[in-house]
Parts: sequence; structure tokens; C-alpha cells
Amino acid sequence: MAATIFLAMIALLLLGFPMMIPLIVGAFIGFFTMFGGLGQMETMVQQMMAGIRPASLIAVPMFIFAADIMTRGQSATRLIDLVMAFVGHVRGGLAVSTAAACTLFGAVSGSTQATVVAVGSPLRPRMLKAGYKDSFILALIVNASDIAFLIPPSIGMIIYGVVSNTSIAELFIAGIGPGLLILVLFSIYSYIYAVRNKVPTEERATWSERGRALLQALWPMGFPVIIIGGIYGGVFSPTEAAAACVLYALLLEVVIFRSISIAEVYQTAKSTGLITAVVFILVGAGAAFSWVISFAQVPQAILGGIGITEMGPIGVLFVISIAFFVGCMFVDPIVVILVLVPIFAPVVDAVGLDPVLVGTIITLQVAIGSATPPFGCDIFTAIAVFKRPYIEVIRGTPPFILILTGVAVALIFFPQIALFARDLAFR
Amino acid sequence: MTDADDSTDRHESSLPGFLGVIDTTISRIESFFLASGVLLMALNTVSNVVGRFVFQTSLFFSEELNRILIILITFAGISYAARHGRHIRMSAIYDALPSNVRKPLMIVITLVTALFMFGLCYYATTYIITQAERGRVLPALQIPVWLTLIWVPFGFFMTGVQYTLTAIKNMTSKDIYLSTSVLEGYDEDEIEI
Repeated sequence: MAATIFLAMIALLLLGFPMMIPLIVGAFIGFFTMFGGLGQMETMVQQMMAGIRPASLIAVPMFIFAADIMTRGQSATRLIDLVMAFVGHVRGGLAVSTAAACTLFGAVSGSTQATVVAVGSPLRPRMLKAGYKDSFILALIVNASDIAFLIPPSIGMIIYGVVSNTSIAELFIAGIGPGLLILVLFSIYSYIYAVRNKVPTEERATWSERGRALLQALWPMGFPVIIIGGIYGGVFSPTEAAAACVLYALLLEVVIFRSISIAEVYQTAKSTGLITAVVFILVGAGAAFSWVISFAQVPQAILGGIGITEMGPIGVLFVISIAFFVGCMFVDPIVVILVLVPIFAPVVDAVGLDPVLVGTIITLQVAIGSATPPFGCDIFTAIAVFKRPYIEVIRGTPPFILILTGVAVALIFFPQIALFARDLAFR
Repeated sequence: MTDADDSTDRHESSLPGFLGVIDTTISRIESFFLASGVLLMALNTVSNVVGRFVFQTSLFFSEELNRILIILITFAGISYAARHGRHIRMSAIYDALPSNVRKPLMIVITLVTALFMFGLCYYATTYIITQAERGRVLPALQIPVWLTLIWVPFGFFMTGVQYTLTAIKNMTSKDIYLSTSVLEGYDEDEIEI
């Protein structure tokens, strides 16, 4: 049965069916064969409903809503200007600024696509003018936007937390360390690139310009304070932090900056609703699917076959990393999380791995896989946003993927990169 | 995420005559449910946070209201997303195929998707009937559980209709359509050849 399910799912996926269909068909085949017909289809619907019921999932639409408001308003531009004023003048400064702005925007939004649009769109023309090659710029934007996956808030981490029953607050805090490490390594690579390709440096901003940029960005800097500070300090749950972000975003963009009208807020709510529905139907279908595979003990059958429990924690982490990396090279990260997390859950439990560490590693792999050819979904976001051919978008990616893979391996051997901040806050 | 939204502001149906009027009305209703669902959810969640911090009391019905709203948003949204060709799909291989293969493939994709949507609509309906017979109510709001699920079969049905219409549109017109109003490709504008 398991083989039929996975083959059918992969076939439907590659043919270009809407992604809910492979999940629904996978669950359907499972229910059909296990219960000998259509008798238990009501249970399938019931499982789909149960999938979208957890209260912590409310954080997803709320963070998307807040990010959507900010992207339409001025928060993103102000954050970019702040970074530019301080690091724009160093060698490779524009590239470093882009990476830093992606990280900073990741700290307010939590979605890669939003980051590509909000940071990539204004900075790419500036980098082109400064003499960077487009292949480098596109690869930088795609890969640096993935830092947003790791920096809280992170939609992928919320979904992982719900599916695996792990504390979302702890996952958020654990993502900060690896996220910042990647930023540092990307900055070093940008510096080397700028030196080797003799990219001219930008003019240094004066201190009064810096002061103005800082003042301008003071309001948007409240977002990371609410999210990281609120969760770290134990004031907010992730859902409450998300709600506070919505309130704050509305306050900033509608009342203080006056960059968005009430009518636009309505439009934004609609677009948020649309994205939410597209994600949540996947979450629902994924829940039905994972109910089937755990009911049929599929994980034990597959993973027992390769003798995973004898591999020890490090071995298990490598297998998980590879599975998620390969999965995300082909499919949307949320689908990969929904399908693979329940498969690996029994093993993670059996070898006694920290689910927060596993979640951080998975999130990192998801980020790497999404930016990796052939089909990483961020590549297609970049193609759609910047209207550049596929080959141009992927040409500059190898060095970035190398760096990210290095961080992934480091994270497996030195879990403290992720767990240090978590232990400091929660233990 | 934000750049391509403008196409979703259009409600004009591509159906002829009276059917078109119904379709346009449904599109407007879905869009209203989506936006007001998110706004209500934001209001509810924010009030709960403010209530907890300022007045030291949470809204007793907050969680249940969000549960109702998330079902409303999801199931009003899936058909709205189908209408505007916004469901996530892995189209890399599909896009590389020649157009004389893409067109029949798109018809198969939309018809199979529609079939599953109608199937789920049927079983969602029987599920709701079972729930109604059990007569359970939400503990805080005292609303019957089945009533909160009423959007589920409706959303599946409307999504099925959208995919069926897309299949018909692909069979009857020269171009390849991703949804009733969206031509395939990254350019969302409808161009008649």
C-alpha cells in the first residue's frame, strides 16, 4: 500500500496537479485499501477538519497579515535604508546590506516570498548599477531570503510545531543562532566576491544620514522587539505575538505613516485570506494523509527497512536532513513538512532526539532545498518576481548552497548553535 | 505575494447570461467572507491579547470563534483560489512540455481535481449530518458543531465547479487556461489570440 501511495503522489505532483491533490489522493488510497472501500471516507473529512483545528495555527494567518500590511506600507523600505546607511560603504556593502535586510525583514515577516519581493525588488536595481553580476544578485536574494525561514516568526516552524507537537516558542528562539551564522557567512562571501570582482564601494553615509535612517526605522524595529522579546521574555505565546504584530502593523502603516488606507487594509485581508486558505487546505489534507500512514504503521515499515534505529542520533539527523533537502528540491516546503514529519516522528522519539533541534535542522534543510535546483520553489518565486530566465537565477547558487550545507553539518555536530539561546531562555 | 493580487479584484464571470450573474455573485460573496474572516480573526485575537494584558481576563469564546473563522476562511478561500489559479502546484515539468501536450494534460488535471472535490463535498455533507445527529455544541458559544462546518461541503463543491468550468473552457477555447479567468504563464493578464 505504501508504495502505491507514494508512487501515485509523486506522479500527480510531477504532472503539475494542485498540491492538495497528491495529499488527498494519498490519503484516499490509504483509507480505501485499509478499510476495503469507501466506508471510512467520513473519517478522512474528520481528520482534515482536525488538521486545521489547533489554536496555534491561528499564528499563521496573523503573521501573514502583519507581513502583508508591512510590505505594502513603508516598514520594509525603512529597514533597508537603515541597513544601507550603516554597512553600505564597506566592500561588498550592497550585497551585505541585502543579506542583512533579508534577515531583518525575516524577523518581521516570516515568509520567504514576502522577503524576496520586499527586499529583492528595491535592492536588485541598485546592485546591478553598482556592477554586481545579475547571477550573483539573484542567487544572493534567493538564498538570503531563506534566512527568513529560520528567523522568527517562521511559518514553517509553526507548521512543524503543530504537526510534531513541539513548542513553537522554543523553535522560534532556536532558529536565531543558525540564522545569524548564515548571515555572517553570506557577508564574508559577499566581501570576497566584491574584492575578487573589483566591485566599487558605495559612498559612506554621514552620521546625520545614519541618525535619520535610524530614526526612520525606529518604529519598524518594534516588530522584532514584540516577537523575539515578547516570546523570549515569556510575555506572549507565538499566537499572541502574531496578534500584537497585526495591531502594531496597522498602527504604524495606517495611523502613524498613513501609507495604507482602510480600503487597502480590506484588500490586504483578502489577499491574506487567500494565502491562508491555500496553505490550510494543504495542512488539512496533510493531516488526513499522516493519520493514514501512522495508522498503517508506514514509518516503521520504511525506516525499519533501512535499519534507522541502529544509526544513532547523528545518523538519524543525517537521514532526516537528506530526506528534507531532497524533498524541498521538488516540492513546496509546507507539503514536505506535512508529509515527512509524521514519518520521522517515531524514530526521533525512539533515539531520544530533542524535537526542537530536529525542527531547527528541518527548517534549515527546507530553506536550503527551496533554493536548490532543479525545482526549489524559491527559484520560481524569483523567476516570477524578477522575470529572469531559469538558468540565470540558478547560475550563482552553488557557493551559497555550499555555505548553507556547511552550516547544516555544523548544526548536527554542534547543536548548541541552535539550542544555546533556547536553553538560556527556557531552561 | 503582493504584486499579483490585483487580478483577484476582478469578479466578472466568464459564464454567459444568468449563470454568469450567479457566478459573479458567488465570487463576491467568497471574497467578502475571506476579507471579513481575516479581519474578524484579527479583531478577535487582538482583543483577547488586550483583554489578557489590560483587563486580566481572556475572552471566553475567543478560541472557538477562531476555530469557526479558520474553517470559513479555508473553505471560502479554496474555491476563490481555484477561480484565480492560485493553488500551489509544481509546474516545472508541465511548463517544459509542448502546448499540444499541455492542453490535454490541463484538462485531465482539472477534471480529476474536480472529481475529488465533488467526492469530498459528498463525504463532508454526510459527516455534517452525522455531527448534527449527535447534537454536540461548542462548550462556550453553545453553537451546534455541525453549523460551524457548513462551509466545508460548500467550499469543496464550489472548488469542484471552478475546476470543471476550467476544463470546459480549455476544451472550447484555443488558449490554455489555469483557471476560468487566468491564462497559464506568469503573466496574469488575459490575452486573447
